[in-house]
Amino acid sequence: MEININTQGNETVATLIGRLDTLEAQKMTGQFDKLAEKAGGTVILDCPQLEYISSSGLRLFLTLRKAATTKGGKVIVRGLSSDVRNVFMITGFLNLFEIQ
Amino acid sequence: MKKKEISEKKFLGVSARGGLLLVVVAIITLEATGLIQYYFSQRGIKQEASLRAQSELRSAENEIMGIVDQAEGAVRNSIWIAEWCLVNPDSLVRVPQRVVDNNPVVVGSTIAMTPGYNKKYPLYSPYATRDTETGKILTLSLATDEYDYPSQEWFTKPLELQDGYWSEPYYDEGGGNMLMTTFSMPVKDNNGEVAAILTADISLEWLTELMGSIKVYPNAFSTVVSRSGQIMVCPNESLVMNKSVDQFAAESDDSGVLKSINEAMLSGQEGEMSIRYHGERFRVYFAPVERTGWSLSIVVPEKDMFAGVRKVGGVVIILQLLGVVMIVIILRVTFRNQMKYKMLNTQKERMEKELEIAKGIQMSMIPKIFPPYPDRGDIDICASIVPAKEVGGDLFDFFILDEKLYFCIGDVSGKGVPASLVMAVTRSLFRTLAVHEKSPGRIVTAMNESMSDMNESTMFVTFFCGVLDTKSGHLRYCNAGHNAPVLLNTTKSLLKVASNVPLGIVAGAVFQEQETDLQYDDAIFLYTDGITEAENSKHELFGEERMLNALSNLKGSRAHIEEMQKAISGFVGNAPQSDDITMFIIHYLNEATPDASERHLLIHNDIQQIPQLADFVETIAAEKHLDHSLTLNLNLALEEAVTNVIMYAYPEGTDGLVDIEAIIRKDSLSFVISDSGKAFDPTAQPDADVSLSAENRQVGGLGIYLVRNIMDSVSYERKNGKNILTMTKNI
Repeated sequence: MEININTQGNETVATLIGRLDTLEAQKMTGQFDKLAEKAGGTVILDCPQLEYISSSGLRLFLTLRKAATTKGGKVIVRGLSSDVRNVFMITGFLNLFEIQ
Repeated sequence: MKKKEISEKKFLGVSARGGLLLVVVAIITLEATGLIQYYFSQRGIKQEASLRAQSELRSAENEIMGIVDQAEGAVRNSIWIAEWCLVNPDSLVRVPQRVVDNNPVVVGSTIAMTPGYNKKYPLYSPYATRDTETGKILTLSLATDEYDYPSQEWFTKPLELQDGYWSEPYYDEGGGNMLMTTFSMPVKDNNGEVAAILTADISLEWLTELMGSIKVYPNAFSTVVSRSGQIMVCPNESLVMNKSVDQFAAESDDSGVLKSINEAMLSGQEGEMSIRYHGERFRVYFAPVERTGWSLSIVVPEKDMFAGVRKVGGVVIILQLLGVVMIVIILRVTFRNQMKYKMLNTQKERMEKELEIAKGIQMSMIPKIFPPYPDRGDIDICASIVPAKEVGGDLFDFFILDEKLYFCIGDVSGKGVPASLVMAVTRSLFRTLAVHEKSPGRIVTAMNESMSDMNESTMFVTFFCGVLDTKSGHLRYCNAGHNAPVLLNTTKSLLKVASNVPLGIVAGAVFQEQETDLQYDDAIFLYTDGITEAENSKHELFGEERMLNALSNLKGSRAHIEEMQKAISGFVGNAPQSDDITMFIIHYLNEATPDASERHLLIHNDIQQIPQLADFVETIAAEKHLDHSLTLNLNLALEEAVTNVIMYAYPEGTDGLVDIEAIIRKDSLSFVISDSGKAFDPTAQPDADVSLSAENRQVGGLGIYLVRNIMDSVSYERKNGKNILTMTKNI
């Protein structure tokens, strides 16, 4: 799993590549904490290359979403693959994010 | 036990008696040699003393003879002058003067006229002597009324003998009260008539001195006895010229011997004799002095003579005693050692007997009846264990439970009793744990924990454990450092085994479980390194290649074992067997196609192991030809369920195992996840409410929700101290 973070002004784009399983989610907590710092603005999670997500990964997404609410920013989830999108759908996460 | 004590006592008695006998023999031998040596040295000393005494006597005699010769010579050489002077009797006085003057040994001399021979001097005897102070020659006359020389021995004897004569010693009363002796000789005229007697007196003071100087031994002394038995020289001066030997002998307590000595001496013999005087033993050596009729003797106290040998004898006796003491000590030590050795031997025998029993017990733990399941057509098992001389550490075991064959083979490091004890422990642990744990990985892990905990002797066990589903031919196995078994299918190859450490080395070691499927007529051949490392007399090893070659395609497990035994004994020949040789073959003969197959995965409660789940699911998906989306979903459901166990089943920081079994049927796929942690039913947890807004959504609870949504059925049960979660997806 890999996350590339690119901030331009108010907008931060995080590109997620690979599988976000329980083990990876634990490793990526720091990266998501960084993103939470930018959550006053717009955080775009770019997901076309995100192959897999488990509940631990979803938890990171939710935590980031809550930070954005607190800081008055927003989180956009972009380009979900059909499989990951399916997980988002089952868990009601499609309703929590602005999906592009 | 009692019997043994008696026999030990008896043994001790026999040994002690033997030892005593030895000591006695040693003492006798030593004493005998001592006595012999003492006897011979005494004899030697006697001989030596005799030689010394005789040589002393000879030299004393020579000296005496020298003086005697001088005195005699002085007289004999003056005889012709005396004869010549007879014509003029007044000139005769010059003869004794000349004798004294010319011969320092002569203290006095006279020429005594035969009474009546000369008309002018009927009695005439001028006596010349040396003044002791001035050395001048004084002339006196012996022809006095008091003296009456014609009756004196020195005058009568030569006259009677018509020859020279040495007088008996006498005290000279006129002179210096000296012991004297006189040589006298007749002086004849032209008619052959004895006209006068010419004499020479010698003092015997020098004789006392001479004899006193003979000191062959410190307390030895010398005597001189005259021809009449008068004591002339003797350390006891009161006896000198006072008593004859005869008189002295009469007073002695050994008079017989003394008398016989006296007789021998008086008759001029030479010899030696022993006498006892006042309780003390003396050796007397005697020799005559010619012409004078004297007899010289040296008297040596035997105590003196043998003082040296007695001293040496004392030292020898002390040394011998020391020797005997040493022998006693050595014997004691030897017997102690022998006792110890004997006892050790008894102990050794006992130990060997016990080892024999131990071996019997050990062998009874190992299955012996083959075929073990004669009624079953699906499994054919045969095994053999040939232990090396002592009890060994090889083991194998098997049993069937719920149509699953649990089996194992192991080899304990080392030999002897410790190895056999560890072997017994290993075997009983296998029996106990296999019933509960089901999975070989778990069995091995649990065994390792138990054995590492109690293992202080650093012994370890190489161990292979397998669980064969007799219905499906599915074989799960876990290898802990043991030789890879041979898989006898069409290819005949070593089973792929992970490189796990042997049992008992380190607690918490991770053992990877593996699996494969056996087809009809496949067999698995298990063995210990006693086969591959069997040595022939050239120290070559039997090796893997020979072993594989010996596993021909024979039918029947017994034939395989027999063939292998033949191959090994043919190779080894007469070389001694150094290690247990164990072999064990399982022949799978179930023709029925299984209605379900299984896959297993055993992981630890660590999220680091999560990625293994994806591989596991993908393997099954590939086998079942499942599409990508379904595969991902199955992976997700399994991950969520397993993560739950990892997070909650075991207390934080403790190691636990999670056993995952996939049961693949024609139209469904089930995962059975089991753990030995605390009871936890994930299905009882409330579902996450997915309709809530982001602000109100809880972070947890999503996992089980996902599982429920993906799988068609999810059920939980608590059984045998285990949480078992079964979830099935219809396909």
